[in-house]
Amino acid sequence: MIPELGHFAIILALCFSLVQIKTGVMQKTAAMGQCLFLVFAMACLMLSFLTNDMTLIYVREHSHSMLPLIYRIGAAWGGHEGSVLLWCLILSGWTVAFIVFSDAALSRSFFSKILKIMGCISAGFITFLLATSNPFKRDFPHTLITGNDLTPILQDPGLIFHPPMLYLGYVGFAIGFSFAIAALLEGKFDPTSARACRPWVILPWSFLSCGIVLGSWWAYRELGWGGWWFWDPVENASLLPWLSATALIHSLAVCEKRSAFIGWAILLAIITFSLSLLGTFLVRSGVLVSVHAFANDPSRGLFLLIYLAFIIGSALLLYGFRIHLFYRSHSFKLFSRETLLLINSVILLTAVATIVIGTLYPIILDALNKGKISVGEPYFNLVFVPIILPLLLLMGLAPHVNWHEHAFNKLWKKIKYTALISLVVGLLSPWVFGFPFYVSTGLGIAIGVWIILSTFQSRLELRHCAMVVAHLGIAITVLGIVVNKSYSQERQVKMLPGETVTLANYQFIFNSVEETQGPNYQSITAHFTVEKNHQAPQALSAEQRIYPHNQLLGKTGILWNPWRDLYLALGAPLSDGSWSVRLYYKPFVRWIWAGGFFLLFGGMLSLLRHYLKRRESSHESF
Amino acid sequence: MNLFKQVRFALPFILFLFIVILLMRGLSLHPNQIPSPLMNKPAPTFSNDFKGHVTLLNVWATWCSACAEEHDFLLQLAREKEVILMGLNYKDNPKAAIRWLKQQGNPYQLVAYDPTGQIGIDWGVYGTPETFIIDKKGIIRYKQLGPLTQEVWEQTLKPLIQQLQNESL
Repeated sequence: MIPELGHFAIILALCFSLVQIKTGVMQKTAAMGQCLFLVFAMACLMLSFLTNDMTLIYVREHSHSMLPLIYRIGAAWGGHEGSVLLWCLILSGWTVAFIVFSDAALSRSFFSKILKIMGCISAGFITFLLATSNPFKRDFPHTLITGNDLTPILQDPGLIFHPPMLYLGYVGFAIGFSFAIAALLEGKFDPTSARACRPWVILPWSFLSCGIVLGSWWAYRELGWGGWWFWDPVENASLLPWLSATALIHSLAVCEKRSAFIGWAILLAIITFSLSLLGTFLVRSGVLVSVHAFANDPSRGLFLLIYLAFIIGSALLLYGFRIHLFYRSHSFKLFSRETLLLINSVILLTAVATIVIGTLYPIILDALNKGKISVGEPYFNLVFVPIILPLLLLMGLAPHVNWHEHAFNKLWKKIKYTALISLVVGLLSPWVFGFPFYVSTGLGIAIGVWIILSTFQSRLELRHCAMVVAHLGIAITVLGIVVNKSYSQERQVKMLPGETVTLANYQFIFNSVEETQGPNYQSITAHFTVEKNHQAPQALSAEQRIYPHNQLLGKTGILWNPWRDLYLALGAPLSDGSWSVRLYYKPFVRWIWAGGFFLLFGGMLSLLRHYLKRRESSHESF
Repeated sequence: MNLFKQVRFALPFILFLFIVILLMRGLSLHPNQIPSPLMNKPAPTFSNDFKGHVTLLNVWATWCSACAEEHDFLLQLAREKEVILMGLNYKDNPKAAIRWLKQQGNPYQLVAYDPTGQIGIDWGVYGTPETFIIDKKGIIRYKQLGPLTQEVWEQTLKPLIQQLQNESL
């Protein structure tokens, strides 16, 4: 009964989305109704998981009667069908949020067009859900079954937060996209619209930043190789819209303050959402090999491709025919903030292009019958780092520079000491912290310090706090990456209980192995003690778990503080009673993620400021 | 000049068209089918067992749930007798494997045991289940990753085996 109600609710939601596409007074009600029914459908799905309704194929394949309660809730989006439902739900949630909180300064027709476009996107995706990915499909097996179980790697608190956060991010760019299409249809995009649009790009961007960080942290803990970014196609799929949204946020600032870059901002808004859709397609169609791959079905890939071609294709056609309406000559001097922000966009889009090429390259080669290959970390590190470096240098520079024109001499006077101090601090800090010295590391740290110092130097007013926090976040991540890449240490050893291994001045003592029983798994736990120069020893343990259906999962043991992680992964038992063990020393790795949370916080601050400013101006008008 | 402007505005669309065509092509490719380096090479071991008839070598283990899934299908193939079925029991306990075959039925005419995985290394086994088709001369002609299904059998393996049966020795 409950699954049927859920199924029916999705059909109703589709009807409401169709109403939303048609103009009229009903538009807002339709959007609300759609959201309501999708919430209801999600609730039905969760209830089916909670009651272990094994007649649902989706529940059977992603749950187990012994799965702990919390993961049964998360399992609702642990597979393809449920996560498409989550996608639809979040999209309609964004629509409702937009109706409730949007700027009253938007004209009625503009507002209504945005809702229509959101309706189109939503209708297409709900159709996809119903036609190819229905989570409420039943069959009645003859025997009693316990379910295939949720993949052990998903049985982690990360499952509860990471996917919703990520989807809140890239689904949310649908609003920016709708703004762009509405602007093309209306033939105008004034500073008021730009101002109204900006929070609806910044908010999803903040969530996406947070989602990416949560994903990276999860991969670090779960995969057991001490890495935090693997350039996997799915990770790339989340990074691409983030990069182009970053460019979009900066370009919208120019639209708002200077009425320039309008055509550019419209294109970026289209590109950003297109990259979100491209990511969705890549993950779900099976055209690429990835650690995240969902169970694939060719009909899904084809449906998504047609949908994507229709939405993006028509958007870009409309862009081609209408964009000439937005071209005005806007004069600014070569050395001005406009130029620097333009460079920012160009660099970010270049980064996007290189990642797209790297990600699609295996398909290109395969399509040309040149063999099957995979493109990995070496390519991406090689091309991405040199592209991004100048951007980081400019990040410290741009906030000092005025709109329209700036005298280079004046700027040089202002920043020369900051630059010098950053360089000295960067080159000296490895030495101060007692690390070996490498020039590249020193320069990397100098870049991080440069961003921090010059951001503080240029903008210490309250109204710039959001930008300051976000830029600091990037600097912190950069510092984390540089130190982590330069000074991480690892050892792969064979250890008998009682033996000691030393890594980076820490002694790892292997005490014992113990068998334990978890809620839905059996586990072998290896207990270690970690000591450093007579300081109080700390306990550390790593596990090997065996889930029903013989799935093996290693659980890493991590001792962390802000300066370093000690990371332990248990490998296979060897014939003589010893174990293969991997030990890692990861300095500053927490900084990488801390920076991401700064981005989230910065985004929130910017919204708060936007809200306060709007309240102020509405008070004035009365 | 005007034409150039129009073309410039159409650039994003044209670029996008290329990507769509590429992805369309990508949908019909199968990135998971990694060609075996042993393709069209002589079988590394048991070469005498293969001479003179077409053989299907199935790599399996009792700890592998996907193998249990394809087991019924293998039994059906054994009844149809279109091809010689041979099993390679991979990284398993031979006693458990024999017990399992007694309980579930034995589709294989010959089973080789490889508790340490040594033979698996020679054959380039990624994981279980895997299936090789070997022709009358003892040359590997096809490798299938993952469980055998009716669909795979009808579409790929059956036509191939019929073709190999007709080849002369």
